[in-house]
Amino acid sequence: MGIKPLRMTMSSVPSSSDAEHASNSSSFHHLHPAVQRWVYTQGWRALRKIQEDAITAILDEPSDLILAAATAAGKTEAVFLPVCSRLAGEETDSSVRVLAVSPLRALINDQSQRLESLAEAIGSTLTPWHGDIPASRKRRLLAHPRGILMITPESLEAMFILHGTHLRHLFGDLRYVVVDELHSFIGSERGRQLQSLLQRIELVLRRSVPRIALSATLGDMDLASEFLRPGGGIRVRRIISDRDPRELRLQLRGYEIGADGDGITRIGEDLFRALRGTDNLVFANTRADVELLADSLRRHCETDRLPNEFFPHHGSLSRELREDVERQLNDTTRPTTAICTSTLELGIDVGSVSSIGQVGTPHSVAALRQRLGRCGRRPEDPSILRIYVREHELTSRTPPQDELRPEVVQAIAVVSLLLERWYEPPVSGALHLSTLVQQVLSVIAQYGGIRTREAWRALCEHGPFRDVDAHTFGMLLCDLADHELIQQAGDGTIILGVAGERLVDHYTFYAAFSTPIEYRLIAGAETLGTLPAMFPLTTEAHIIFGGRRWRIVAIDESARTIHVEPAPGGRAPWFIGSGGLVHDLVRTRMREVYLAEEVPRYLDPSAHDMLTQGRDAFRRFALDERMAFQHSDKLLLFLWAGDRVLATVTLHLRSQGIAVDPDGLALAIRGTTEEGVMNALRTLAEDSCDAVALARLVDAKESEKHHVFLGSELLARDYASSMLDVEGARRTVRAILEQQLGRKGSSQAMPAPTDEG
Amino acid sequence: MNEETRIRPRERDTILQALGSGVVPRIGQHHIQVGRSAELGALLRDIERIADGGSAFRLVIGEYGAGKTFFLNLVRSIALEKRLVTAHADLNPDRRLHATGGQARALYQELTANLATRSRPDGNGLPNLVERFVTSALTEATDDGRSPSAVIAERLNRLTEHVGGYDFAQVIDAYWRGHDTGDEQLKHAALRWLRGEFHTKTDARQALGVRTIVDDANAYDHLKLLGLFARLAGFNGLLVILDELVNLYKLGSGRARASNYEQILRILNDTLGQAQDIGFVMAGTPDFLLDARKGLYSYPALQTRLAENPFATGGLVDYTGPVIHLANLTQEDLFLLLQKVCRVQASGSEEKAPFPDEGIEAFMKHCSERVGDAYFRTPRSTIKAFVSLLAVLEQNPGVRWQKLVEEAELEAESNPDLEPLDADGHQATPDDDELSTFQL
Repeated sequence: MGIKPLRMTMSSVPSSSDAEHASNSSSFHHLHPAVQRWVYTQGWRALRKIQEDAITAILDEPSDLILAAATAAGKTEAVFLPVCSRLAGEETDSSVRVLAVSPLRALINDQSQRLESLAEAIGSTLTPWHGDIPASRKRRLLAHPRGILMITPESLEAMFILHGTHLRHLFGDLRYVVVDELHSFIGSERGRQLQSLLQRIELVLRRSVPRIALSATLGDMDLASEFLRPGGGIRVRRIISDRDPRELRLQLRGYEIGADGDGITRIGEDLFRALRGTDNLVFANTRADVELLADSLRRHCETDRLPNEFFPHHGSLSRELREDVERQLNDTTRPTTAICTSTLELGIDVGSVSSIGQVGTPHSVAALRQRLGRCGRRPEDPSILRIYVREHELTSRTPPQDELRPEVVQAIAVVSLLLERWYEPPVSGALHLSTLVQQVLSVIAQYGGIRTREAWRALCEHGPFRDVDAHTFGMLLCDLADHELIQQAGDGTIILGVAGERLVDHYTFYAAFSTPIEYRLIAGAETLGTLPAMFPLTTEAHIIFGGRRWRIVAIDESARTIHVEPAPGGRAPWFIGSGGLVHDLVRTRMREVYLAEEVPRYLDPSAHDMLTQGRDAFRRFALDERMAFQHSDKLLLFLWAGDRVLATVTLHLRSQGIAVDPDGLALAIRGTTEEGVMNALRTLAEDSCDAVALARLVDAKESEKHHVFLGSELLARDYASSMLDVEGARRTVRAILEQQLGRKGSSQAMPAPTDEG
Repeated sequence: MNEETRIRPRERDTILQALGSGVVPRIGQHHIQVGRSAELGALLRDIERIADGGSAFRLVIGEYGAGKTFFLNLVRSIALEKRLVTAHADLNPDRRLHATGGQARALYQELTANLATRSRPDGNGLPNLVERFVTSALTEATDDGRSPSAVIAERLNRLTEHVGGYDFAQVIDAYWRGHDTGDEQLKHAALRWLRGEFHTKTDARQALGVRTIVDDANAYDHLKLLGLFARLAGFNGLLVILDELVNLYKLGSGRARASNYEQILRILNDTLGQAQDIGFVMAGTPDFLLDARKGLYSYPALQTRLAENPFATGGLVDYTGPVIHLANLTQEDLFLLLQKVCRVQASGSEEKAPFPDEGIEAFMKHCSERVGDAYFRTPRSTIKAFVSLLAVLEQNPGVRWQKLVEEAELEAESNPDLEPLDADGHQATPDDDELSTFQL
């Protein structure tokens, strides 16, 4: 094996006080005798602290609860021991009594195997339910509903659509809703779908049902509470365990692209050495990288006369191919590594693997944490994370943005936030209109028809879509009617239209998310590749793709194509930071990394060198003192803010007639004076600025599954609410302006431009 | 309807209670009937045709609030008077004409539970029907000096030539044996089978020795058998009354809708053809009939059969086609209706000073101001509010009606399923109002 990852322990190993015998514990005695017997037959020596706490809390009173602990801390049993104990005490078992929602089929399979005997011990049953479960087993539960149901959000959605009138019978005596891996739902379309489904189940039952969630430990548990019970997060009880029984092994490896290779080949070699013979997930930020890596690794296998164990997994591959890879990964007898695009994170249904590889810098802490959570089959297995980043060789033509070595620094920033248990909060005020489209159609299918006002009150005013007002909801219905998804019956009831029936009737409707929507980039007759509409795309703007700078000639939203032509402007920076929206705090932390002196232990020598070079460049450009400097014909503005703020500032400047484009870490401003930029920024800081008006300037706004059904006004509102941040932008700009005021004595309003070194 | 008719107290209370809770009264509809004499005449001819051993099929089409349900109840009471057996049910997502998940059997179960005869107008008439069959056979046997079993076997023989008739006859025979030997359990099992309550064929074979049960696929055949059986029991046939067919239109699956429409076509073909002793009356909205993409007209074979007489336009009518339209109540109709409600309230006598006509006018004006002109298109809530007003007036003789009229509130109809759980004392916001009258 080539490289031994550096050891890093996040916290102490479980202490010996844990080794108390199970029967000595007080909470154990409160369990139902049948559950006690089951614990004995498992041969456990002790209940863990978190299990003790959870048993006491759950037996104490039925109310909302979050159980936060690391993977493999025994959370699942901590919940199901007391829950089953309560079920055992009840006489009737004629409806599903525990609804357990889990993000992954693989997780359901694993847990149902572990807990089936517990359900049997209390004389009940546990039914796993997802796409791979045979129909006969599902029919049995529908005919005689009972016990515990473990299900994915998509299958639960299908239940609402296919068995809408049957739900009251199916879940009549529901006692608990259990949500596994709560953190993986927060902020996403799928999370909003889950919130809506949980609300709808309570509406069917006409009562509130206690929700118990299992989550990774997050720095800010308030957001998890509020997510679990929108509007009632404050009443959610919490049990939090900081101890992490699992050791984290982490390494950040740097590769230089230049004379001696393109980096990918060497990353492929290193991956092959490190991962061969085990099950792993490797994430890359672009589809092209996925294909290159998979190809390189397959050739390594062929050269060594080994059966291929490396397979690509991304949105352009057929569902069958992807599921085949997932099956191989879940099959423990064959070593398999899947190389996936980071954007299809949710679509990878795989249980646990030996290690995680990350090629290219991670864009979010949440994504990195979720990936880490898939690591380790047994509690004693460490979590292993290898990050491979590429930077361009430094030459005289290297643009300043690349001299900063942003890939390495962003990776360090993300990892440091991860170690602090920070987690990106959901975008507050995001409308989630794509998911609302799905939920509206699903509610119609469930009840046969809806009245507009009641649907709005149930889903929006008192439901998870609280940021959608009645007027917006009405516009949404009109947009749906334009596509014949819905129509109105004589009594005003909204029912499915012909196209709506076809949509709802297909299993692909059950998922709120899709393979990411991407735009095709076309130069002349040649297709350059695809990219998601992450950063505001407007005609005349410049974008960087494949290491070159392009000018956008035209955007066709319905065909999802962007026509470009080569643009002048010197060498383009390599770093484009694709893969998702970067949060403000990551960028702030990057600046702190540049300013700091110490070197994290997990860097390999090459990454270490790159960090040093990046810090040198940062000081050379005097970025510790100023936010902007001139480079050739462009003014480079460094805001150290997240992508939503950058997008807002960019659009505002463009609305003021200033040509500005994202250029690596900076915003590159052409053809204006610093004075002009400062004045334009001042209008942003002082005047009111309408996010929806800014969003209307964007030509490519579709990013989620059902955006295609929205008209331009609602697309703009949705875009403004989720991709822009006017308040954040004004805060950032005000801070800059204040800094400028403090330096009023200096000769120039903007720090002096320097010649490039 | 004779205006001098005294209304019995039981009828009065039933009518007022039903109207007060927004449903159509089961009895005494004629006391509050307004207009519709031509339409009723058409249905009366249908009923007579069934009584003559024929069959009938009618679609009653009217907007929400046109009084379809009221009309159906009136038809039902006429059919009972004409010694027909009736069975009625509302369709809903769980009760359909055609299904594979038990919804067609559920409709059959509902129909048999609501089976009514003149002596049992409120339903649960099935035991009565079977008992009538047995006792009439016994009478015939005594009169003719034959054995009862022989008479019953001969009568049942007429059923066996029909689809599913053999097992149906077996079950009736089992009931007779139970009757003969005092085996209550056997009688009970036979009734359960007839109500479609057996879930497995094994159970049915053990209990009754038959190899089939009522299921989704044969529910319609069993309705036809019930019609023939009603005749054998001495009634004039069976009238099946189905309401809320708009629920088929609202089915979210195109396939499910098409197979239900196909079933309607089958019923239409049968009842306009060789079927005997049975008739169907179905009520739905114009959407359900006319919508070319989701309604009955989306099914070409039905469209040609149901198409209106092209000459019956511009005020000309033709009541011989399978479809009859119920026009909406006019303001004048509603006035008459409220007047009749007043008369019912005053127990049909003119002695107690009834609610004055000017009060009715004031009430209608108030409603029109509150809800807009659409109020008389939803007579349900208008009448409900009116009945509540009359009740308060009756119990508080000191109160002036002018004051009450000003305070009358019309409830919006709503789906309680979607009512938020955490909504306490909801105040309508301007936002809300926009949606409650939302039009696509």
